[in-house]
Amino acid sequence: MESSWHPKPGDKVFRPPHIKGYRLRRVLGVPALFSAGYGDVGSSIYYGLGIVALVALGATPIVLAIAGIIYIFNALTYAEGSAMIPEAGGSASFARHGFNDAVGFIAGWALMLSYVATMAISAYTIPPYLSHFWPILREPVIGTAVSMGIILFLMLINVIGIKESSAVNIFFIGMDIATQLTLVVLGIILILLPHPGALFQHMFGPGNWPPMQNLVFGVALAALCFTGVETVSQLAEETRQPAKKVPQAYVMMIVAVLVLFAGISIVALSAMTPQVLGDPVNGWARDPVAGIAASVSAAISPEKIATGITSKAELVIVLTWVLSWVRDILPALVAILAATILLTATNAGLMGISRLAFNLSSHRQLPATLSRIHHRFRTPYIAIILFCLVSLLVLTPGFFTTTFFADLGALYVFGSLLCFALAHAAVLGLRVKNPELLRPFKLGWNIRFKERELPITTILGLIATTAIWIVVVVTQPYSREVGIGWMAAGLLIYSIYRWHAHLPLTHLPKKPGEPIL
Amino acid sequence: MEFHKILVSVTGTEIDDEALRLACRLAKKNKAKIWAVYVIAVKRSLPLEAEIESEIKKAESVLDRAQSVAEEENYEVETDVLQAREAGPAIVDEAAERGVDLILMGISYKRRFGQFSLGTVAPYVITNAPCRVILYHEGAT
Repeated sequence: MESSWHPKPGDKVFRPPHIKGYRLRRVLGVPALFSAGYGDVGSSIYYGLGIVALVALGATPIVLAIAGIIYIFNALTYAEGSAMIPEAGGSASFARHGFNDAVGFIAGWALMLSYVATMAISAYTIPPYLSHFWPILREPVIGTAVSMGIILFLMLINVIGIKESSAVNIFFIGMDIATQLTLVVLGIILILLPHPGALFQHMFGPGNWPPMQNLVFGVALAALCFTGVETVSQLAEETRQPAKKVPQAYVMMIVAVLVLFAGISIVALSAMTPQVLGDPVNGWARDPVAGIAASVSAAISPEKIATGITSKAELVIVLTWVLSWVRDILPALVAILAATILLTATNAGLMGISRLAFNLSSHRQLPATLSRIHHRFRTPYIAIILFCLVSLLVLTPGFFTTTFFADLGALYVFGSLLCFALAHAAVLGLRVKNPELLRPFKLGWNIRFKERELPITTILGLIATTAIWIVVVVTQPYSREVGIGWMAAGLLIYSIYRWHAHLPLTHLPKKPGEPIL
Repeated sequence: MEFHKILVSVTGTEIDDEALRLACRLAKKNKAKIWAVYVIAVKRSLPLEAEIESEIKKAESVLDRAQSVAEEENYEVETDVLQAREAGPAIVDEAAERGVDLILMGISYKRRFGQFSLGTVAPYVITNAPCRVILYHEGAT
């Protein structure tokens, strides 16, 4: 009987020996992609704003805007790359195809560092938000212990492979966006508009503008607020019509993120000084959105607002009651939402790192041990356990100080900027090396160079991410020492593994008939 | 009821044999085409394209058994393996893509918290299937 099935663009077909057909079922659409990506980036404002303010002080909204522009470049490059190469490796896959296995490994290993840092920061920021209910969680020792407990809990449920509910995730993302919008709108109405001078004073007043080195480092740290591009890229392999849906999801993320982050940062600096926003001990650096909620709540005078809206006595009573409820519930709601979103983000980081480790291992860039599947749970348990332990190690300084979380941010920046730079370089490299490749989403605004079309946004993204990475490495000792140490350790593991397996460092021997991509 | 294309979801349980025999008997009337599919559900901590040897071997043996049962009924069955995050959407998508008239699934007797449970796959398929669905239940034991 004749088969009526035909592969669609983006379908992957495997042919193991005895099975006739073995196909991947892609189920994700734009809403699921957006919620996964926004879940990653939307969570980062809950800690990123504080870390950035710690360094960039009054320039926080400006460095966020600059980082936002770089984010657009990154998202556009990933949109072309993911549509062209819908694999789970993200920038590691782009770099492997664009250059060779060694460069792909460097991108993947740098990405792993940023995942480890993201997991640690997200988990570390949960106790400060929950301290709204239990103030003792602000204590460094207890807070760090709780963070470690969260990572261990997630390690356990991911080793077992407990299913997460995408409906629950989408619900919390919706609530998060609604709450942030509410904070922005209320903040503008109740704080910014009545006192427009406060924002200017907090940004440009004496002692509020940072030195140039801090300004540049602030732009680098602001990249912490714009994660999510790798998450969407890694989901490309299970997306229906990835060539169309992945770029759509990126565009939606760009719009949502830029609007909300601009609003949140402006409201934050209208409500408080940058020193209070960026203080990790007595201020709101570790839970900046809680600080905004507290300020907005304090600015709500229910009766005054109610009488300003209407003169009817019954309506004033009702409105006063409603506004009192909003004032009282807002900080608690933010605390619960923040903890939930950050827990989701920590889990997403763990799943991302385990998929990436499996991807690198399956391309013989890391030992096969990391791709070993548990016989009962069918999860990559060794990769999950190993990288959770690394995250716990990274969190250890939290027992002794609360300022180390800026160092965590710097660590994330080291890894993420390096892998973004390599992603830009890989997409440019493929434009030069393989211009004939099918590009379902091809970036416009190209310049012609020796009969090749090179997208301007990718070139600018490469320049910006590389320049900032170099500045971070030169000026930040923690980033330099730990980051370079991590990369050196990774390259050593890679070299020893390849040598032991009698494989060349740069390319695996190609099988006959194996396509380029 | 006439069926020209039937999709049978097999999972490696004892009920698969009975479900396939039913499918063959229903197919004989109109010489319908039968596909037996096995879905490998991949956990989210793995890439979707991850090749899990143990699951592939299990899929092979289940589908080999499906072909044997079909041969006993003097009928031909085409086998296929799908890999997806969840079995329900994979089965429904496959049915829609192939334009089948009928999805046939065997349901083992399971109890959850003391109550009979259909699991998660069957309710999803019943709710979302683009065609008729027959659930073949082995009965309480």
